[in-house]
Amino acid sequence: MTQENALKLFKCLSDTSRLCIIQSLTQGDMYTELLAERLELTPPTVSFHMKKLEDAGLVISRKEQYYTVYSLNRAVLEKSLYEVAASEPEQIDEQQKREEAYRQRVIKAFFEYGKLRSIPVQRKKKLICYELIAEHFEPGKVYEEKEVNAIISPIYEDYCTVRRDMISEGIFSRDGTRYVRQK
Amino acid sequence: MKAFMAYLESKISEGKEEIIVLEADGRKDDGNFAKVRTNIYDVCRTISRTLADRPGAGIVAVKAQLDRFRTGWSAALEQAKQHDDIHAVAVEETKLAALEDIIAHFPEVTEA
Repeated sequence: MTQENALKLFKCLSDTSRLCIIQSLTQGDMYTELLAERLELTPPTVSFHMKKLEDAGLVISRKEQYYTVYSLNRAVLEKSLYEVAASEPEQIDEQQKREEAYRQRVIKAFFEYGKLRSIPVQRKKKLICYELIAEHFEPGKVYEEKEVNAIISPIYEDYCTVRRDMISEGIFSRDGTRYVRQK
Repeated sequence: MKAFMAYLESKISEGKEEIIVLEADGRKDDGNFAKVRTNIYDVCRTISRTLADRPGAGIVAVKAQLDRFRTGWSAALEQAKQHDDIHAVAVEETKLAALEDIIAHFPEVTEA
């Protein structure tokens, strides 16, 4: 376990409702509706807590007919507090970490469910958005203009502007009506 | 309309107390959902106050606005479900549950 994961785990556990959920799960596997009834919470609120517990690696889910059944991840819960607290930080360059955090903030601000809300005015942010759109294209593969349009248009209505900007930013190279992703 | 406004006021006070209790109990996320719920009662109180007294608007306009909220939030809920966005689903369902409660009290209190 890395220090980042340990921090996520501790943050997740510092909530009475989530501790109550874990306590309930020690008595056996349960589904959302049953937990909601026991803890007097709404099912969407329980689902929200379960997502956090799952992300922290504390619970595991499985599908059983119409229900999602949750169980405790004993492999994590049976670790000693010493072992978790002594986790080493992930070996990532600080600068790289800051840049990735910034990138994620920009994506969160400008994208909603994979659709671009608006084209950022600031070039740095615009590039982040276009690089994300470029991930829909295979590098080196030749695309016809109509294919490029068909891929971009579900992401942003004004696909012509995006396509042109992506050429001027060097993300695409163009030869007539043929496009190739460069980076 | 007076009774309706009093109902909204009581739900807002109740919500504010709930937020304090939940946060003190170490349930910050549940407290945030209580904030979302309380905010809906607050927003509806504001639009009810504004529209109900406006000439040419009145109670019908308030009800129409509540229905518009319902349409918009239901669409947002569907979108969140489609994308498996658990947090957004919980928020939209909380908003809609509060709105349904408000709508359920609307005719009842105005007829009285």
